[in-house]
Amino acid sequence: MNFSENKKRLPAYCLVAALSLLALPPTGSAQSNPAAGTQTAAAQGTPTQLQERIRELERELAQLTAAVAAPPVAQAAPQQQSRPATAQAAPAGAQQPPMQMPMPPAATGPLNPENTPPDSTDPQALLDRIKLLEQRLRDIESSAVLSEPETRVRKVDVYVDQDGNQFDQPTPGAKKTVTYQRERVFRRQTINEKIEEAMADAAEHNVEVGVDAGVVFQFAHRTKGEPTPADGHAYELVSADVFFTAGIAQNTLFFADIVGLSGPNPEGEMLVRTLVNGYSARLVEQNSISLREAWLRTELFGQRLAVTAGRLDLTNYFDHNMVANDETTQFLSDALVNNPALGLSENGVGLSLVFDAKNGLNFKAGFQQSSSTATSLSDSIFSLAEVGYLARPFGLSEGNYRAWYRVDNSGGTGYATGYGASIDQKIRQGVTLFGRYGASQAEVKRDHFYSGGVQFDNGMGFFPSDVWGVGYGQNDFQIGGKERLVECYYRFNLTERLNLSFHMSYFLELLEGGERLGYLVPGVRLQASF
Amino acid sequence: MSKAKRIVRIAGLVTTVVGIGAVLVGVLPAPATLAQSTIKVQDPTSVVMIVNRDSNDISFMDIKTKKIVGRTFLGNNVNPHMVMMSPDGRYVVTGGTRANKAYIIDSRTLDLVKIIPTDIAPEHLAFSPDSRWYYQGNPDGDSISVIDMQSLSKIKTIPGFAEPLNITFTADGSKAYVGNYGAHWVGVIDVRRHELLKKIQVADVPGVAKLDPARYLGEIKGINIAAPSVDGRFLYAADSDLGVVGVIDTRTDKVVKVIRVGKDPWRIYMNHDGKYAITANNGDETISIIDLRRNEVVATLEAGPDMTGINFAGGKAFVISSTSGFVYVYNMSSLRPAGRIRLGTNIQLETATTDTADEKLYLAESTTNEIVIIDAKTEAVERVGNVGLYPWGTHIMDSKDNYCH
Repeated sequence: MNFSENKKRLPAYCLVAALSLLALPPTGSAQSNPAAGTQTAAAQGTPTQLQERIRELERELAQLTAAVAAPPVAQAAPQQQSRPATAQAAPAGAQQPPMQMPMPPAATGPLNPENTPPDSTDPQALLDRIKLLEQRLRDIESSAVLSEPETRVRKVDVYVDQDGNQFDQPTPGAKKTVTYQRERVFRRQTINEKIEEAMADAAEHNVEVGVDAGVVFQFAHRTKGEPTPADGHAYELVSADVFFTAGIAQNTLFFADIVGLSGPNPEGEMLVRTLVNGYSARLVEQNSISLREAWLRTELFGQRLAVTAGRLDLTNYFDHNMVANDETTQFLSDALVNNPALGLSENGVGLSLVFDAKNGLNFKAGFQQSSSTATSLSDSIFSLAEVGYLARPFGLSEGNYRAWYRVDNSGGTGYATGYGASIDQKIRQGVTLFGRYGASQAEVKRDHFYSGGVQFDNGMGFFPSDVWGVGYGQNDFQIGGKERLVECYYRFNLTERLNLSFHMSYFLELLEGGERLGYLVPGVRLQASF
Repeated sequence: MSKAKRIVRIAGLVTTVVGIGAVLVGVLPAPATLAQSTIKVQDPTSVVMIVNRDSNDISFMDIKTKKIVGRTFLGNNVNPHMVMMSPDGRYVVTGGTRANKAYIIDSRTLDLVKIIPTDIAPEHLAFSPDSRWYYQGNPDGDSISVIDMQSLSKIKTIPGFAEPLNITFTADGSKAYVGNYGAHWVGVIDVRRHELLKKIQVADVPGVAKLDPARYLGEIKGINIAAPSVDGRFLYAADSDLGVVGVIDTRTDKVVKVIRVGKDPWRIYMNHDGKYAITANNGDETISIIDLRRNEVVATLEAGPDMTGINFAGGKAFVISSTSGFVYVYNMSSLRPAGRIRLGTNIQLETATTDTADEKLYLAESTTNEIVIIDAKTEAVERVGNVGLYPWGTHIMDSKDNYCH
């Protein structure tokens, strides 16, 4: 046979070939094969038979569609069309329910979106139809979807009269009220999307649990002064915080942090004025579980004012610093974590107010009891106020400038005051300077505290997420001498949840008699949070 | 019949024909008037297009009157994702994510003129500058469908991508760049041949990645878009997993700089004056402002959760925090925060477009089926309700902030 004699039959051969290939399981095999088509066509025959085969295919496809997507859309449509009968219950507003959307022509359907006439004998039309069926089969095989209407709950405004009749539109004698109502829409979602939604919803309603664990090894070597126990000794402090977070109402959060500390502190043997390891700051008990924080926070006035009440650590709200404020990821020495002039020695019950309109200016106020032996809320109360400002001086990157003032009665001799400032200023990408100053009322005049340093991050280390820094602190006490300290650290960000850092600190104690004590304290910190 | 009678009869016939003709001309509308009666949008720049995911339609809102002037229903379970008008203003197109089809709408009559099968889950799309080619990205099919807007037919499917999201054409239309969210490279398409020419890796995956399989193997969050600078010379591609923006020279198709930004940058948005670009870093809820002359981050500022878009207008940047109900505002002169606009509680903000005068934002709010219009200068808010079910995005022809999420 030559081509001209069979040109009318050739499309039919191709059609048969495509059909035979379509019946094969892998979608990728549905490419036409002229040779195979010719052989099969000889056996299969006429367009009428082909139409019959297409009908069979359509039936199979419908069964496959029903299997992966139940109930089919066709069943959903009558539900939506019945909605006008319950117009009272429809969502407020003039939005047409989705089922009232214009439907495509009757001949058009999921299996025939191009509206090819079902009884067409045109071979090209039949080929096109096969192509569409192939496409649809591939779609179903590739991404099985749920076709049932999506159901969700909406908040709606309705109007209810004295007899309880509910109207969608303002009606004389009816009062506007808010209610909640289910609606159904034509949203086809994949199974993955539905599972993700369900998991996110479950997580939102559960209590979130987090763990922050740290292991710190330190070694003390005396470099100056008379012999002390802390010379050639090693120390290991293990800390584990388990914290719980739960959203309990609109913009309201509950948080609790339970901490366990174990191991000897270096400052137990070192004659230093500030903590060598900030992990044990404001915690009293060792080798036991204690409650670090437990509070409720709510946000008021358009979420501009955050009110936190419960057992607090006020250093989480005052005297912030972007690069010297966290012993778990930044400097270890407590003098480079918080300002000693704050004077807070223990966590306790209190209240914090933070007003932040997100315009770069914020105000804070709060009080906290800082003694576990206090007999009433009037004892050992620290009251603080702070103003913070985000600035970009001299065309530099952003910097945070904070000033605070403190009043406390923890000394038992009336009220003592203190004040201070905390600054962090980015010089350029990856380089941030910081500084702190504080003054606290002492028995004679005031004690003064200064610190400063620099942090490098954002690709300024061996690996992109590494961070390193150098800090200096100086405590000038009116009684008991002075202290100078330097610390540098390098933190490897091993994974999102695991950090390894190396620290080197040097403490120099200038005692009142003119003696000097020096300690070199190398350390390693392994910290995990998840 | 005498000659005089014949002349009179002919004159009478002519008079009758002319008279009837005159009457018909006076009574019947002109053909042009007939055509005008079906035109719903006279000026394609006068409307905001709203893509409604759940009512499966495109709404057209007149910018001046704020009225919906027309809707084009696409079909049940189509779930359109992004809408765009062709640069010549003739057509409006959208990809039906759950129908695996592209929909072409006449921008004047708002009639659905063609449905074209694509690959799986079409979402983001782009037009060549001459309006000839409509590239439809199919993230689940890992391909780009090429649609010829002259014949209104699909001429090719370009395979080889990894979850292709946004497509960017060069100004001369010779190349198109594709952000692959399922990889860390930008695809370059030769538009003349509609073929994937090369892959540009924006940055190396850090060596410590092997220690963190949960992050790097669990789910990949790569490149959303390669966004062009205002002069078109460079492309900026933010990579979420790597936390960087790769700067690509479009002349050489090479990465000339890698800028580290905040954690998990969703994508980058270009300020209209060409000086700055901003990444929305959803990992640490910050934004990074990049100076485009120095290609450096000049400010990292606190923002909100789940950011889906950034618009620029009135000298400010408006950052959409989708789940918090806030739009965060930043002064683009001082590069400082300038407050936030509260649009509601328990609502879901989607994406916005900005008008061509850079005065107002049109933000889709899917919970209450509204378009929220924000005046950039006064920050006053106006709401237009019942635009369709689950408005997902908006588009204005020639706007500089036409994007999707």
